[in-house]
Amino acid sequence: MKNKEAVIIGAGPAGLKAAKQLLEAGAHVTIIDRNKKLGGQLVKQTHKFFGSEKQYASFRGIDILEILVQGLKPFEDRLEILNETSVVGLYKDKVVACVKHDNFFKIKAKSIIMATGASEKHLPFENNDLPGIYAAGAVQTLMNEYGVKPGDKVLMVGSGNIGLIVSYQLLQAGVDVVALVEAAPQISGYLVHASKIKRLGVDILMQTSIKRAIGKDQVEQVEIWELDEVWQGIPGTERVLGVDTVCISVGLAPLTELLMQIGADVEYIRELGGNVPRIDFRYETSIKGVYACGDVVGIEEASSAMVEGAMAGIHAAHDLGYTVEDESRKLKVLQEELKFLRSGPHAAKVRAGYTKLEVKT
Amino acid sequence: MTMRNKANVVIIGGGISGMAIAYNLAKKGMKDIVVVEKEYYTAGATGRCGAGIRQQWATKMNCLLAKKSVAFFEKAQEELAYDGDIEFKQEGYLIVATTKEEDEQFDKNVKLQNELGIPTQKLDKEAARKIVPYLNMDIVTSATFCPTDGHLNPFTTTDAFYKAAEKLGVTFYKFTTVTDIVVEHDEVKAVVTDKGTIETPVVVNAAGGYAKDIGKMAGVDIPVYSQNREILVTEPIERMQGPMVISFSKNIYCQQTPHGAFIMGRGDNRPPGYAMDSTWEFLDEMAKTVTELLPPIGELRVIRQWGGLYNMSPDHQPIISDAKETKGFYMACGFSGHGFMLAPMTGLLLSEMILGEEPSMPLEDLKLDRFEGKDITNMEKSVV
Repeated sequence: MKNKEAVIIGAGPAGLKAAKQLLEAGAHVTIIDRNKKLGGQLVKQTHKFFGSEKQYASFRGIDILEILVQGLKPFEDRLEILNETSVVGLYKDKVVACVKHDNFFKIKAKSIIMATGASEKHLPFENNDLPGIYAAGAVQTLMNEYGVKPGDKVLMVGSGNIGLIVSYQLLQAGVDVVALVEAAPQISGYLVHASKIKRLGVDILMQTSIKRAIGKDQVEQVEIWELDEVWQGIPGTERVLGVDTVCISVGLAPLTELLMQIGADVEYIRELGGNVPRIDFRYETSIKGVYACGDVVGIEEASSAMVEGAMAGIHAAHDLGYTVEDESRKLKVLQEELKFLRSGPHAAKVRAGYTKLEVKT
Repeated sequence: MTMRNKANVVIIGGGISGMAIAYNLAKKGMKDIVVVEKEYYTAGATGRCGAGIRQQWATKMNCLLAKKSVAFFEKAQEELAYDGDIEFKQEGYLIVATTKEEDEQFDKNVKLQNELGIPTQKLDKEAARKIVPYLNMDIVTSATFCPTDGHLNPFTTTDAFYKAAEKLGVTFYKFTTVTDIVVEHDEVKAVVTDKGTIETPVVVNAAGGYAKDIGKMAGVDIPVYSQNREILVTEPIERMQGPMVISFSKNIYCQQTPHGAFIMGRGDNRPPGYAMDSTWEFLDEMAKTVTELLPPIGELRVIRQWGGLYNMSPDHQPIISDAKETKGFYMACGFSGHGFMLAPMTGLLLSEMILGEEPSMPLEDLKLDRFEGKDITNMEKSVV
């Protein structure tokens, strides 16, 4: 078993920011990520970010990734990167079980920062396992990371930012987005993204959902129908669309499984996307020395994940006995930034979620 | 839903034992039976166990309980009129010896089992290899095999008892925690839960890992303790192993489920307590053991690991008993890891005891008072 100081699980925006803070404070850092490239979902985010200038608003995700990775370069002698490595177990004595290229090994950590992110939710409908049915993030990976077109005619399900942005990127790639259906009565992402695809001729259908997929070996058609005010399909409103691809973009769920295994207290908070760990204001979970930041503590955006990652990194460094230069001022600034990022109408759900978590913690 | 405030019997525990007791009492015509479970049904040891069914024991009592339980499981699907599948597969248990002492103990076991009508055979290495060809013959010296042993699906089997009991009018409260038992003049009067109080003259402690605490509430000191035992499941592959393979000396049981996954566990000596966590040490040890005894299975990927509580009794045999000091208090606990497979008899014997019927088999070795001031001479050794 290898002994390590600070182990960060997940090399997305939260994990990379936490690493930077820990390294600056003088800690030895091990970053574990199952992908080859660092950056988590940033690797496929070719769109420009909104939010705060401090969190690189107007930069593209892929460029932010480059900035974050470059920021770690000065500390290479204290940084170990275990890419293509899956964490398959997390035990209460802070032993992290890993698999890299079919080799199993264990790491004993002094402190652990969970920045595992989230996974995409799926929808239950008839034939929802036919080839041609993708999560929207998977389509983004195919197109933006590997340059593969997923299909020719797409139905997009869900009008969150991922659904809207991926629709736009599909159009850019020359793919026909036949329609975008949304179960709710209003668009759930930014209106500016929705307007953009609407202008490009995408049919946006509100209070509508997919009823079933039709096809033998792959999707050939889909049946959609309108929903009533209690989200039930209205018989007689069915319509059949000819598509070869269905993109499901109905939200994300925090990847909390490892935290559950280690025995951290976890709470179901709908507004934050599902089961999230109870954390204190220092981003420490109910287990001493185990911190959590980014989407795993509540579904938000890369910008807030970066702020949370930085804060978790500072606290973890402090608890390991390192002196963080200007600690209280840094934390105060980060706190303010997070408040700003969560101030708009779109963050109402997230604010409600954190209020609930705070009450329960 | 408001809770009823009176019952003829309150059974504490919604695992296989509680369900089997409720079913047997209801079948015999008892009314107003209530089962209280603090989580969901099978949340405790039932849903966490390996669900093997074996008759190859070292004590007469365990052999008899198991034999009669197997006879029930053979017709359970019909008797319980279950529309699901309890997945009872009688593909045998192959128990392998790796030491001379074990080999000698196995001769004794087989003799006892055969006398009691259990069709166990003693096998030499070659015969054992015919049953499980990939056994490591460098370490196996001999084996015993009972073809009528097998395994069940613990979830559907519990569900079958539950549905049958419900049809007979039993009332169930899940997510309801018992917080106290009211005893007046050494008699059970009521069960207090976090959802309300139920007056009752009879309480049955089928609380599995928490049986000692429930006993305390009724003023009964039960000499049991709980211990975490871990288990894992692999990815599913094509069926290749019919029987459960066990080695007591190597500390392993390993079985392939009907859907193809292998389930295996071992009994590392943990401190008594209620922890049910999973450890990396178990994963390491389990991997080493299975790779040594059943090499090809060591190649499989682990999907999940978990822990559950064994409720250990001093002689590793069940306590199916009333309580001398508290009238109306009964218990089914201390199964030492084998409560699932014995549940049909647990249900039958406790229902007979509560209703004052003639017992289907002698009870002295099952009663709580067998531990009073006596040394344990009749220890069950065949435990993983």
